[in-house]
Amino acid sequence: MDFLQNIGIVARYEAKTLRRSWFFRLFAVGALFIFTILNIGLFSPVGDESWEMISIPSAVPLVNLYLLNIAQALVVIFLAADFLKKLDTNEVLYTRSISNFEYVTGKTWGILRLFLGLDLLILGIGLLMNIISRNMSVNIMAYLWYLIIICVPTIIFSLGLAYMLMSVIRNQAITFMLLLGYAALNMFYLYHRAGSLFDYMAFGLPVFKSGVIGFDNPGMLVSQRLLYFSLGLALVMATILLFKRLPQSRFQRGLTIVLLVVFTVSSALCATDVYSNYKKKINDKNLVLETNRQYENRNFVSITEADIELSHKGLTLEASASLRIINDNREEIDTWLFSLNPSLSVSRITSGGSDLSFKRVNHVIEADPGKTLLPGHSDSLKIFYSGTINESFCFPDYTDNVKDNPYRIDMLNVSKRQAFLTEKYVLLTPEAHWYPVSGLNYYPSNPARIKIDFIDFTLKVKTSGNLTAVSQGNRVTENGYYRFKPGSPLTGLTLAIGNYLSDSIMVDSVEYISYYFPGNDYYKKDLAGLKDTLSLLVSGIMRELETNFSTKYPFSTLTLLEVPVQFYSYPRNNTQTRAEVQPSMVLVPEKLSTLRNAGFAKQFTRQKRRMARNNQIITDKELQVRLFNDFIRNTFISGENFRFVNGVAHNEPVRYRLGPSFYFFKNNFYSSEYPVINAVFESHLQKVEIPGRAPGMTPVFGGLSDNDKANLILKEYSFRELLAKNPGGDTIRTILAVKGDYLFNLFRAKAGIDEFKEWFLKYIDDNKFRRVDILQMNADMEQKFGFGFYPYLSDWFNGKELAGFLFTNLQATEIISGDRSRYLVSFTVSNPEPVPGLFNVSFRTGAGPGGMGPGGRQVIMTEMQGSRGGGFSISMQGRGMEASDISRIVFLGPEESRRINIVLDAQPRALLINTILSRNIPGEISLPVGDIPRSRERIREVREEEILPLIPEISDPSEIIVDNEDPGFTASRQVMESPLKRLLGVQDRNEQTYQQIRMMNAPEYWQPVVQSAYYGKYIRSAVYTRGGSGDRKVSWNAVIDKPGYYDIYTYTGKSGDRMMIRTGRAGGGGGPQGAPPAPPPPGGQGSQGDSPYKDMRFLIYHDEGVEEITLDYENAEGGWNNLGRYYLSPDSVKVELSNLSTGRIVIGDAVKWVLQE
Amino acid sequence: MKIEIQGLNKIYPNGNHALKDINLGFGYGMFGLLGPNGAGKSSLMRIIVTLMKPTSGRVLIDGKDIQKHRKELRSMLGYLPQDFRFFTSLKTWEFLDYSGALSGLRNRKERLAEVDRLLDQVGLLEVRDRQANRLSGGMKRRLGIAQALIGNPRIIVVDEPTTGLDPDERIRFRNILSQLSRQDVIIILSTHIVGDISSTCQGMALLNKGDLVFSGSPENLVRQAEGHVFRLHLTPYEYEKVKEQYNVISTIPVETGWEVQIVSDDPPVYDASAIVPNIEHAYVYYMEHKLRTSLID
Repeated sequence: MDFLQNIGIVARYEAKTLRRSWFFRLFAVGALFIFTILNIGLFSPVGDESWEMISIPSAVPLVNLYLLNIAQALVVIFLAADFLKKLDTNEVLYTRSISNFEYVTGKTWGILRLFLGLDLLILGIGLLMNIISRNMSVNIMAYLWYLIIICVPTIIFSLGLAYMLMSVIRNQAITFMLLLGYAALNMFYLYHRAGSLFDYMAFGLPVFKSGVIGFDNPGMLVSQRLLYFSLGLALVMATILLFKRLPQSRFQRGLTIVLLVVFTVSSALCATDVYSNYKKKINDKNLVLETNRQYENRNFVSITEADIELSHKGLTLEASASLRIINDNREEIDTWLFSLNPSLSVSRITSGGSDLSFKRVNHVIEADPGKTLLPGHSDSLKIFYSGTINESFCFPDYTDNVKDNPYRIDMLNVSKRQAFLTEKYVLLTPEAHWYPVSGLNYYPSNPARIKIDFIDFTLKVKTSGNLTAVSQGNRVTENGYYRFKPGSPLTGLTLAIGNYLSDSIMVDSVEYISYYFPGNDYYKKDLAGLKDTLSLLVSGIMRELETNFSTKYPFSTLTLLEVPVQFYSYPRNNTQTRAEVQPSMVLVPEKLSTLRNAGFAKQFTRQKRRMARNNQIITDKELQVRLFNDFIRNTFISGENFRFVNGVAHNEPVRYRLGPSFYFFKNNFYSSEYPVINAVFESHLQKVEIPGRAPGMTPVFGGLSDNDKANLILKEYSFRELLAKNPGGDTIRTILAVKGDYLFNLFRAKAGIDEFKEWFLKYIDDNKFRRVDILQMNADMEQKFGFGFYPYLSDWFNGKELAGFLFTNLQATEIISGDRSRYLVSFTVSNPEPVPGLFNVSFRTGAGPGGMGPGGRQVIMTEMQGSRGGGFSISMQGRGMEASDISRIVFLGPEESRRINIVLDAQPRALLINTILSRNIPGEISLPVGDIPRSRERIREVREEEILPLIPEISDPSEIIVDNEDPGFTASRQVMESPLKRLLGVQDRNEQTYQQIRMMNAPEYWQPVVQSAYYGKYIRSAVYTRGGSGDRKVSWNAVIDKPGYYDIYTYTGKSGDRMMIRTGRAGGGGGPQGAPPAPPPPGGQGSQGDSPYKDMRFLIYHDEGVEEITLDYENAEGGWNNLGRYYLSPDSVKVELSNLSTGRIVIGDAVKWVLQE
Repeated sequence: MKIEIQGLNKIYPNGNHALKDINLGFGYGMFGLLGPNGAGKSSLMRIIVTLMKPTSGRVLIDGKDIQKHRKELRSMLGYLPQDFRFFTSLKTWEFLDYSGALSGLRNRKERLAEVDRLLDQVGLLEVRDRQANRLSGGMKRRLGIAQALIGNPRIIVVDEPTTGLDPDERIRFRNILSQLSRQDVIIILSTHIVGDISSTCQGMALLNKGDLVFSGSPENLVRQAEGHVFRLHLTPYEYEKVKEQYNVISTIPVETGWEVQIVSDDPPVYDASAIVPNIEHAYVYYMEHKLRTSLID
């Protein structure tokens, strides 16, 4: 076998030569060093051992090879592009009796085996850590698979491409440039496009291997990787043909041509497969959208009972569904419409013993009963169907793009699956429409619309093999079938079939069941100390949840069902509920791998050690209790077990929250006129924080809160218009939350906070598992409170005008009565706008908890855990089932002004106002309560609100104020962009109007920022820029009509943006015209380091010329600062501020001219 | 075994006509290719070792066209190019091992023995484990010849092998080739150094600007110069005149003026004595005198 021997010889010496090259040596030594450190840091007992990384053992080889592969792909380029350079060196070899095929193939194999050798060494390090880790098992096959999947195709393709380019271009420098450019293009641009078609490095390819089902997408992986493997070999073959050496073997030349064709065809087929899969998904989604568009305005019946019988037949299922339906529309129905997964084909529909004619339009079933179903009437039918599940159906409004919708475990991309139907494992959630559903999964013209049926399900399942079926409700086994009967109507049914084991515990008449895969119940060992107290802990947590939502857990069971890590649901616009949470069931990820707090053993060791260092004593059991509670709270209650990478939330916080159990799975309010109503109610009542950014960050640093963003949008569009525009998911969720807050604050304002709470809690309990028409609720409220909200809904839904609030004259008095102090807080609020509005009020107090008496509530500030500033957000104030964090809701009519009085038992520090839906930006206003005078007068009868006859003047007539939002304010537009940025079209300016202050890299233009400490009528904003040479200016221009001496002031809003100020002074000041005084810096804002604000140079234009005044920001007052007194004649006057400063940031807000008598 | 070159032409893409209708034949033993730089020697060599295709004509080995039987030719070939380079990171023995393995020595043990034998033969055994880039210039050339010899090639092509070597190395090199030429191998030695074409060359060819101007034995070349090489003793004045009239081969200063060797068809008018020519004289006679006069005629 000379052929193979020659290849082997060339490979051996090629590898030897490369191995001895300095470049490779440096790379190899560097890689070995880095990966040793990395493996020790990530996986060894002395390292981080983050649960995400160690829970699923395939992560070890994957992390290693994923990172190594990127570096390797680049290094290969350098080594391979050297291929034809050594012509003279190789000349003596070229006269030897080897064919070109043998020579080039040998070189390729030599390089490949060299890199594979390095890969194996690094994998060996990983494996060593894997073996010595006490918290990881070893998945040895994963090591092999990842080597084949990730590295081999990347190296082969890189080599082939490098050879080919060198052969054609014959210029090493240009070849380098092209190859490196392509590698960079892959990593920054191409990796997520066309279904990873161009991702030769597997940079964004989801290759995470589940410990339960292995690779979930082997077909796609094979196609994508074989594509590059084949293409690489095709390029190698082409290189052989182009090789500048006279060929010697006609046979091998022929063989090369044949292989070139074979590999080219193979790669083309694989590319076609990858692309057609990608296109198919898009087409399927489009088809679903088109079909939904066709049917979204049709009337659907409601299903009240569903008796489903299903047989698992390996890769398919066979099922029948007996449905009891009711027409709860106001019109009669002559066609029964259902939705069923489009890959499930319906064979027959019967009703009353006879077959019904039906037609199928993609996923919609149109059954013709041959009769009319009158409103309120019921009927029944049975649908027989079989087939597979098309997952593209589930979330038609999302793409699988790994960039736009990443699902990662740490850095590793995980495939996103919505259902599984394999021989060994099945997971079907209601989102897959694996049984007929009445309604559509997405309404294109109104994505916030949803149709919910509360259905009495019965499920009979026959599994293949010895697999266990899991679903909601009581399970009995009869005649080889699993039979499930949930104890209450459900909004949807989930079925899982797999090799499940289970544990259960009964606590307070709720059965908690855990279904897990063999070997994945590691927590039993880690939390062994909890065995005898588990009931108590579970009971406590459930009580906490019930208290939080002011309603009892509505189901008799709560199942924690372990599912493969690839299961992933997208956020939806019509509900805040993710598919991971189902009625009485939570689908937890395999080995809780995406949940950081689930690494109990490591946390135990770490905390124990830390406590020992701090001389704290805690028993093992106490620590386990703490870990357990933390995990449960973070995962199922607060739902903040997530991380931010570059400002993007990964593993969104609401994936596993149990909130939906207390509203969404229990209650449903619907309206034919306002189909968005349930989503609005849910957003408010489940107190959902919008994911997408670190909470508490933006208000502190002068950016926009979600409420503010919503209000800016709602200034332009009505709610109806906005829904019709079908905005993005985050926008719609933000708007839903604000609209919900407004509606419920309206209910509370009109009905009384406590009164509404008492009534509403009973109301939703009385109507649990029932659909309630919003008209019915309106009638019930009218009867109870004499207040009908329905008339308000028209403006709420269609109106574009917003109220605007001006807060002035905040006063507080301490009234001492005997040995007891109480506090009277008063302020004036005006709404000069022609539409009514409302806001809610809360207080930050200096007293301990529970200090509030009648007329005032205890403040609950939403502390944002884990955020970077330790800030707080008022935007959620007044949200939730009870909204117990607010003291007062003030409803203000159009062009109305009121004096508000609130009596508190605790000393107020700041008034916290959430204007919810208004022109105010920021809508969350924190007004510090300054000095509180004491009074021994008894509190007279204080009227909570007094309507004032006139709207008070906001400013003194002798003052002229120009704010940065006013027409008199101008900012230079000059932006110096680098030529490269210009060439690439990179824009520094963000499209969003208001940004947060960037301390380190301030923009080179005047960027608007908002913060309640800044001056403004409705929009409390300022502009800031990078300190520099004075090339950028802003000016405040006004026209005065009276000559005389004017005191000129500038407004300095000091607040959270003083993060780096060394000697910050808290707020104080306060404008004479009621402009808000600056609040003190929020807690946690450090006072260390160098201030980014220093000198600010103002140019005062006056009758005698121009005078430069320097204001030292650090020593300036928060509020108005006097710049001097100048004589001004009636004319245009001006004050300028330039960016000439030694500080990193220059900020400008408002200027005031005050005429001196 | 016999090599025949028939009507060989090589025209490069830039129009350079490097070989013009070359016809040549030779068998076992050493065959020298002589000619000035740019004569076409390397082009001819590269065609013979199948690194390059001729524009027309063919090279036959025992009647077989080498372009159609490259594999066969390459399996019997040892080649030392003019600019011999190698993998600097390989050790001396490794490079030979690599070449040996590709030349058909499959048995590792035998190959390693052969490697050591050759290293010994070229005097590099002591540096067998030294990396090739740490060898001296002479050692590198010796390594070059060793790699050309490994695998018992039947045709050895060496292109300008002695360029840059010191006299000792050159002698050693010639001896190696001389020993080899006694075996049943064809050695094609290309050089522009006339001294390299020693008496060991059974045949030789003289190339000039792509033309084959002489082929035959070195003795024939020398014989053609007999009676045309003269020694003269000249005064400085005479020397100036002779330089203009004749091809001067060598000039040695003596007490009375200059002792000069020249080539000329007829005895010069000065006090001249005919001397027995060597191959260097013959080369000059041929290249500088005969070709020039034939061109003038």
